[in-house]
Amino acid sequence: MGLVTRKKLFSIMALCAMVGLLLLPIVMSLPSPAAGEEAPAADAAKKDGDKVEKGRDVYYKTEGIVVGAPAPKTTDGPKDYPRYNFESRVLLWFANQQHLYYGSFVLAVPIFCMVIEFMGVVTKDKALAKRYDQLAYDFIKISLTAYSLTAILGGILIFTFLTLYPAFFGYLSSIFRPVMHIYALMFVAESGTLYIYYYGWDKMKEGFLKWIHLSMSVILNVIGTLLMFLANSWIGFMMSPAGVDEQGRFLGNIWHVLHTALWNPLNVHRILGNMAFGGGVVAAYAAYKFLAAKTDEDRAHYDWMGYIAMALGVAFLIPLPFAGYWLMREVYAYRQQMGITLMGGLLAWLFIIQATMIGILFLSTNYYLWQAMGRMRGAEKYQRYIKYLVFLLACGFLVFITPHTMVMTPAELKAMGGQQHPVLGNYGVMSAKNGGINVIITTTVLSFVWYMRGNKVSTVSWAKFGNIFMGVFFACAYVNIIWLAIYGYYIPANVRVGLSVPQVATTLSCLFFMFALNSVMMKGAKQMGPIEWGKISARSQYALIMLATAFTWMMGLMGYIRSSVRLFWHVNEIMRDNSPWAYTHTVGFAANMISFNVLFFWISILFVFWLGSLTAKKVPVEAKAGVPGSAPQPAGSH
Amino acid sequence: MKALMSVGALVGVIGLLLLVGMIFDVVPSNTVRLVEGYMPMQMLSEMAIFVAGFTGLSYMLSAMGMAIPRFWQGIGFWAFVLLYLKFRVYPPIPFSVRAMYGTVSLVAVFMWMSANEEDWKKFKQPIMNVLDAQTGTNKLLRYAYLVLLPILIGGFSYNAMKPKSEEPIELRTVHPAPPASTKVHGKTYVLQTSQNPYRVNPEGKYDQEYTNANIVEQGMGRLMKPNANPWDEKSQGYLKYVREGGEIFFQNCHFCHGDNLNGRGLHAFAFNPIPANFTDPGTIAQLQETFIFWRVSKGGIGLPNEGFPWASVMPPWEQHLTVDEIWKVILFEYWHTGYYPRTWD
Repeated sequence: MGLVTRKKLFSIMALCAMVGLLLLPIVMSLPSPAAGEEAPAADAAKKDGDKVEKGRDVYYKTEGIVVGAPAPKTTDGPKDYPRYNFESRVLLWFANQQHLYYGSFVLAVPIFCMVIEFMGVVTKDKALAKRYDQLAYDFIKISLTAYSLTAILGGILIFTFLTLYPAFFGYLSSIFRPVMHIYALMFVAESGTLYIYYYGWDKMKEGFLKWIHLSMSVILNVIGTLLMFLANSWIGFMMSPAGVDEQGRFLGNIWHVLHTALWNPLNVHRILGNMAFGGGVVAAYAAYKFLAAKTDEDRAHYDWMGYIAMALGVAFLIPLPFAGYWLMREVYAYRQQMGITLMGGLLAWLFIIQATMIGILFLSTNYYLWQAMGRMRGAEKYQRYIKYLVFLLACGFLVFITPHTMVMTPAELKAMGGQQHPVLGNYGVMSAKNGGINVIITTTVLSFVWYMRGNKVSTVSWAKFGNIFMGVFFACAYVNIIWLAIYGYYIPANVRVGLSVPQVATTLSCLFFMFALNSVMMKGAKQMGPIEWGKISARSQYALIMLATAFTWMMGLMGYIRSSVRLFWHVNEIMRDNSPWAYTHTVGFAANMISFNVLFFWISILFVFWLGSLTAKKVPVEAKAGVPGSAPQPAGSH
Repeated sequence: MKALMSVGALVGVIGLLLLVGMIFDVVPSNTVRLVEGYMPMQMLSEMAIFVAGFTGLSYMLSAMGMAIPRFWQGIGFWAFVLLYLKFRVYPPIPFSVRAMYGTVSLVAVFMWMSANEEDWKKFKQPIMNVLDAQTGTNKLLRYAYLVLLPILIGGFSYNAMKPKSEEPIELRTVHPAPPASTKVHGKTYVLQTSQNPYRVNPEGKYDQEYTNANIVEQGMGRLMKPNANPWDEKSQGYLKYVREGGEIFFQNCHFCHGDNLNGRGLHAFAFNPIPANFTDPGTIAQLQETFIFWRVSKGGIGLPNEGFPWASVMPPWEQHLTVDEIWKVILFEYWHTGYYPRTWD
């Protein structure tokens, strides 16, 4: 058997092993979800001739045989809430948040690797393909160190739960018992797949083997996503329980427990959020390396890396507000009071902070793109119009962050003549805010289009018509978005909620049609000059760092909001939190705590990056592949 | 192009003069009225007109060889936004919101000024000149800043630390989350699913669409729809119930909530805060009818913990009105304001 054939055989075997690992948890769990837990219980009951006790599902309203114990009625004391001389909730908050940051990062980065590796495989330019491949490898290398830390933090989280909230954790474990082992096996599958994927990189870098390697990344990501779905089912259950009766007794159908009212919106929101976050972290890493770079070559490489990471992150940031909107809509549909607590009541001010962070994300992105146009010859023609984009962004941002309930002194309240300001109060409701965010996103799309055509002049015969068409299309999009925002005030609320669909459709039309049209127009376009990687301003890199920090802060904030909306419930309306900390923190305390979590994460991830750089230093540098123009070469090798 | 820019410059100058007049109280803020119903878009449009005017003005001054330096363009525009918010918009905007807007506009000015390297250099130049202090004036300015900046910062710190006798800021929850259900006159109403029994079509069935079609038109005038006059003696069903609700409203509620339902009733200004303004799109238009039912029945005293600081003198109307009367008065409030109650389907 030849060397190549043997390699192919081993690669296929490795791929099969991965598929096996993926299927293993499902096969293992088949008897449990299929038969449920009610079967043995029911059989036993029949044998004994006892009457089977039935319960009604709190959400699905179906009847089921009671197979679980009721949710414990906890009391404040060492039995249910043992504690150190510190607020247990804050300790759990910290452990949970750190685990989530790392979990999100290690789930997002392999998806990037898959995309970038795929780009490398399909790119005809060999030098560029090599750069993509190196970049994907750099990403997974960072992810590998972070992966160990994620597992450690997961362990810390479980120990914190067991130590500080034993009754609550015991109850949740009893509910999720049928899938607990699947969850554990998924971890095994994820680890196994990740190691094969990482260590097999060099062995499978050419031809058919590369495709096998790429397939492995798909399996790795499928496992990672399923793992996240399972983790999400816990928080979905805590917010909107199902599969249990009013006393919290499990009714035997684990699918009902998993598939709660908020599970799918949470899943979609978290996938997109993780991707945007992962992109932000890698972009910040690249920015840091750019600012610290000593040579033009390094600067060029990290400039390029930052751009790719930012573009990937922003690609997922754009649909994120829409996914968030869907989640909130489902929250309102599930429990009106939960929705009002979030967006109109107790936690409304946190949503204003969130809106500010979202605005910062888009503003930073736009600013980075404008700065990036500075490294292209020919992009000057767009520079003088940037001020109008700034105006549009600022107006959209102002509307988006205007609070419904304004902070004011009693004297200001009297001067205003009421709680609602007659001019600005109108910006405080959803209709205006939908308009604001869609204007911001459409402007971001416009900035991207300008960036894409920065150093190019279209040579197609219909270029003039194409440009006019694009201009009119964007103008109509703005008019439509703003008009719908105004029209929203004159129609019933349920119709108004539906208006977000045409607004989003308008924004997404700009994204897809204008990107597509621009690409067609720029095919074979005359180049005014190459992109001079590395010749970007330092300000742009600070914008990337700002982007990543805002992502991290916003994740912490949204996690806190989502968790706080349960108020004094461990499991909403099922299991009450009777600890001394069953109250909502002040906005100031929450903000400080989130900032601490953000700071801790960034310090620890710097350590991870440093570890990653140690491996790079030990390996001799490979000969650089030639790239046209002054494009950068990958630093380090594997 | 030049003609267009001249018009822009003229608009810019007129706008600036008006604003200066408002700042020095020579021209009242409401000389150019903020028209009810159009105020939010009017404000944004005015800002856009100012931007267009400034563009024209800048162009014309450049053409005349009197170009405004980049630094002063940026600082000037930011000052304009602050002054516009403070002196043009009425009633006065609370400081917290002006601070937010001011920060955003400062960021926007920075983004504009540093969008490309050339502009950024021009913007920085005066600052660098003062720091380098190559000329006598700049040297003087540098010394002045050296003295003034610490005094300024010290002044701010002193002001911030000084004990104040003002009433503290209250972060009020205007719409606290309602309970899942509420008990009124011995019957439990689930807020998510209960319906107004008087929101009915001519067949007597609950019909939101039918009743929505018969409310007054929104906007100025709030005109009644043709053949939908509740005060017509022949009116039956929904419109009759609206009339009955109106009678209850004018017997009990309008003293505080006002005869135009805008929260400016006879007794309104005896309270702090003044009663809810139902014509504002942020009040009943955002809420389910059952939320209003709960609030009317339980009043200020029945506000949940979350409704801090419970600043409401609304009586618990369940002690004075029947359930039917409460539903009817709610029906009237939506009819009169031209808003639709929130639904979740």
